[in-house]
Amino acid sequence: MSSPEDKPGTTSSGETTGATRSNSLGYEEECASGAKPEATSWPSQAEDVDMKRAAAQLIEKYYFQLIDGCGNPHCDNPNCASSGKVGGLSSNEAAGKALQLCASHARLCEAVGAKVPRASQSVTVATSVGTGENSVTGGDPSITPALVQDVIMACALAPSTPLPPLSPLTDGVNNIPGLTEATLSQTIEECQSCNNYAKLRCLLWTVFSNEVALRNSFLQDAKPDVQSSSSSSSCISKDLGTGAQSKEELRAQEGDLDKDLDCAEIVCSGEGAACSCENHENHEKEEKNKKCAKSCVRPVTLDISEVRQAYSSLFACPEAEFGSTLMNAIVQLLSDSLCIQLRAHREAFTAVPNYLNIFIILLESPALNTTDYIEGVMPMMCRTISRLPERDQALLTRHLATWEATRLHRLLESLHQLITIKLLTTEFSRDFTINDEDGITAAAQFMKLLFYASILGGELDNPLLKDIPAEKPEIPPHDDPFFSMSGTGKDWAIRAPPKDSLGKELGIHVLDARIPLVPLSEFYDDFLSDQLEMDRDFAYYKAGSGDKFSFLSYPFILTPATKALGLYYDNRIRMYSERRMSIYQQVIEGTPANPYLKLKIRRDHIVDDALVELEMVALENPGDLKKQLVVEFEGEQGIDEGGVSKEFFQLIVEQIFNPDYAMFSLNNETQTFWFNPNCFESDAQFTLVGIVLGLAIYNNVILDVHFPPVMYKKLCSKPGSFHDLRDWNTTLYRSLVELLEYKGDDMEEVFMQTFRVGYQDVFGTSLTHDLKTDGDNIVVSQGSKHEFVELYADFLLNKMVERQFRAFRRGFNMVTDDSPLANLFRPEELELLVCGSQNYDFMELMKSTEYDGYSNETPIIQAFWELVHEMSTDDKKKLLQFTTGSARVPVGGLAKLKLVIARHGPDCDRLPTAHTVLVCCEKTSDMYNFGTQRRDVLSTPQSKFDHRFGSLFVLRRHLTHRN
Amino acid sequence: MAATRRLQKELADIRKSGIKSFRDIQVDESNILTWQGLIVPENPPYNKGAFRIEVNFPAEYPFKPPKINFKTKIYHPNVDEKGQVCLPIISAENWKPATKTDQVIEALINLVNEPEPEHPLRADLAEDYTKDRKKFMKNAEEFTKKNSEKRPAD
Repeated sequence: MSSPEDKPGTTSSGETTGATRSNSLGYEEECASGAKPEATSWPSQAEDVDMKRAAAQLIEKYYFQLIDGCGNPHCDNPNCASSGKVGGLSSNEAAGKALQLCASHARLCEAVGAKVPRASQSVTVATSVGTGENSVTGGDPSITPALVQDVIMACALAPSTPLPPLSPLTDGVNNIPGLTEATLSQTIEECQSCNNYAKLRCLLWTVFSNEVALRNSFLQDAKPDVQSSSSSSSCISKDLGTGAQSKEELRAQEGDLDKDLDCAEIVCSGEGAACSCENHENHEKEEKNKKCAKSCVRPVTLDISEVRQAYSSLFACPEAEFGSTLMNAIVQLLSDSLCIQLRAHREAFTAVPNYLNIFIILLESPALNTTDYIEGVMPMMCRTISRLPERDQALLTRHLATWEATRLHRLLESLHQLITIKLLTTEFSRDFTINDEDGITAAAQFMKLLFYASILGGELDNPLLKDIPAEKPEIPPHDDPFFSMSGTGKDWAIRAPPKDSLGKELGIHVLDARIPLVPLSEFYDDFLSDQLEMDRDFAYYKAGSGDKFSFLSYPFILTPATKALGLYYDNRIRMYSERRMSIYQQVIEGTPANPYLKLKIRRDHIVDDALVELEMVALENPGDLKKQLVVEFEGEQGIDEGGVSKEFFQLIVEQIFNPDYAMFSLNNETQTFWFNPNCFESDAQFTLVGIVLGLAIYNNVILDVHFPPVMYKKLCSKPGSFHDLRDWNTTLYRSLVELLEYKGDDMEEVFMQTFRVGYQDVFGTSLTHDLKTDGDNIVVSQGSKHEFVELYADFLLNKMVERQFRAFRRGFNMVTDDSPLANLFRPEELELLVCGSQNYDFMELMKSTEYDGYSNETPIIQAFWELVHEMSTDDKKKLLQFTTGSARVPVGGLAKLKLVIARHGPDCDRLPTAHTVLVCCEKTSDMYNFGTQRRDVLSTPQSKFDHRFGSLFVLRRHLTHRN
Repeated sequence: MAATRRLQKELADIRKSGIKSFRDIQVDESNILTWQGLIVPENPPYNKGAFRIEVNFPAEYPFKPPKINFKTKIYHPNVDEKGQVCLPIISAENWKPATKTDQVIEALINLVNEPEPEHPLRADLAEDYTKDRKKFMKNAEEFTKKNSEKRPAD
């Protein structure tokens, strides 16, 4: 039954059919084919593939027990080689015996499942590969090249058998030899000499379509072990080591899932003294997991340089000869074994040693960025990788982080390309949205690995600063009138945002990135962001359950504009819910309903009024801050549908940053504002400025503020560090860099710098600060220069303004505390959100403008745009200021403005109004426009040269000029 | 004062060095961040007089450069009417914290002696200086005689 004629008809690959040969190493195939009839006679569910697989595994176990034994020297099983009661069997005999034993349910040594296959694996590796290499090195004249060929062919046979991939813990086919660079280049040489690449194809198929073979390939230190000893003892011990290791890995990753597994064995078995996984409490364990991952588990047993060498020699061959084979093999591998394994028994599979090698080997392939791979291999690869447990994703990420930036970038491009292809070729409908297309979602998940790899591989912020506790919302001091009240407004629960477990696993945070390998903005997928139905995605995000994918959980892939839309939904929902609450309140408590946050402001007392009113709200009911803002200027009609509050923000910001207020000091060099540490204003003032900033974001208004980027970083709970000085105080930063770069031993004499630094307040007074106690007597030396610089930066960016900033942030958080802001936006995106972009592209605005009563063909409209395009940037800003109430471009560009030009009726002595829309009046091609806010004031177009109406005159001038 | 230690040392060094072209250095005891001194150039047309300057050190010194102002009016392409001088060594872009004040003064004296019309603050003077040196010298000498301070006796 185990004769060569029994070759299974299900041999799958045409590549290998020619290679069917019988030899002593073909036992596997024979086993498998032998298993088939046995399986069909199995009492129940004979047709079930899984059953067959289980049967095959069982037979394998018997087979190895007969051949290699269980490894226990005191074994008393008559059918185990270790007991010495089994005569020397040939492979074929053993296979036959194994079948019988299986049928009779004979005793199986316990250890066989776990240990024997691994031992046997190394034995086989030793024999097969070892012979191959001996012949090359000329060690044994009796081994001819033909035999080597046979070995290879035999390997080639293995995956073509119908033997399906086995469950890893009881894996019986671990004995498939891996590929080494030597074998590969030898085969290549052979193929080149006879100009027939069949053998190479054969080899590639064998290895790359078989999970076991691939994970045994290119192992570190594999060669010396194999060559030095034909006896398996050393290999066994080594493999036991890795086995134990893998158990630790398993343990580490499964965490609390299986407490009942006895950990004593694990503790004593490995070298992992550090990771005694005595699990008492969950969070404690998490820490230990991390420790495990770092200290004792050597995750990558792969010889990377060998892999790269192998690839380069492989791709030196004409690609037509092997390319498609290789790709097909990989597709086979990914689709057949890996996907199923990961889906069916993830824990068990991921516990197999070296299994991550498979992914690393695949990722190393230089062909990865070709179109064929992007379409053929990449989707499956993404899917497989996205199913990996986070711990292993972290390991892969660490590997990717070692890549060069260009390579990482190319892979990223490929993923973008994949997403685009999927978006273009898939038909989406109401019931099948982008969020359901797992090709795209998996790509996004894979991209996350790249994202973190990019951060990890790049320059990180000074690790010294990581230990400074993040400035989380502080416990309120008792004398603080605001904070004690702020809890009252939250009547409805908000789900905690999903934690970023991959980042946690890696021990990094997005905020740590200083100079990533690939600029983080490269991760935006514009096309996806455009196509995405944000309302749906937002709903999935809010639902927070794992069953629906939400791109908002992968914020790096979305453009700030799209994310801003998500934030907008969040804010609106909050506003409506506050509105609803106030109505309930009215019904139940009888208090008058106040669905809006209403501010009544006098134009000439704008700051005072705003601060007093907001202070009242913050004191009485901070929850009201989350209502929709409505501003009313006293004595002016005008309904605030956005425009008035925009103007309000604009005016108040102008005032607050006025040097006369001295709340902020201007840095002339970078034209940015920083908190004035010696400000006379109370903390409450800063809190209120924070509220204003928060309200602006919350109400979707762009502000004309100029803070250095570090301010936004600090708002995101990351303290400022030395490198943040660059964008705020450039000269100082450069001088400090000079200090750091000074290498001479005479630093003390040259710089004569002590740990006392001087600074100047807004009034020009010189003040000093000791960075250390008695700093004036401690001179900065080569040894302490880094400490000095860090302390100096910390002083300027954090300590000096701590009081002011804390108050400011408290105000900001009062409005934004339970919004997903911090999760969605990185500091630089937050800046964009607050300040808008600086890209004045009026062509974009023209394209997106809508018309009411006109069309884009109407002569006056054409004349209008002609004029606008001729304007200087300053004038354009004025026009924007007039039409939208803000001179800044919103996130996502001018196209997001939704400008409407409407006809005001055919008559027209009426003056045109700007009301977030520009309304034009046709009267012999003359155009007036002015603001609703001040219609009463501005009764004639000639009335005032207020800057808000500058555009009116600009337009008129142009038009007059034309006429 | 944070920079006191270094500035006091620098001041002492300059005074000790007995440099002829920069003398009569006056520093207010209460504020070492402001120095006054007399520039005594060697070359014509400025060798007919002396020029009082003020050096202002920022509180962040030496991490930010000092500023130099001429208190005495001077007819020079690189000094504007307000007395501001454009000296590359103390510009924000080139400033090095290891630079000592005596080096700065030395650079200033060199600039006074040898104007650099390539980077002028007063373009008209720079043009005269390059195209009509005679006219420039004549004007400068007259201006110096009229406006500058007396040169010290020795």
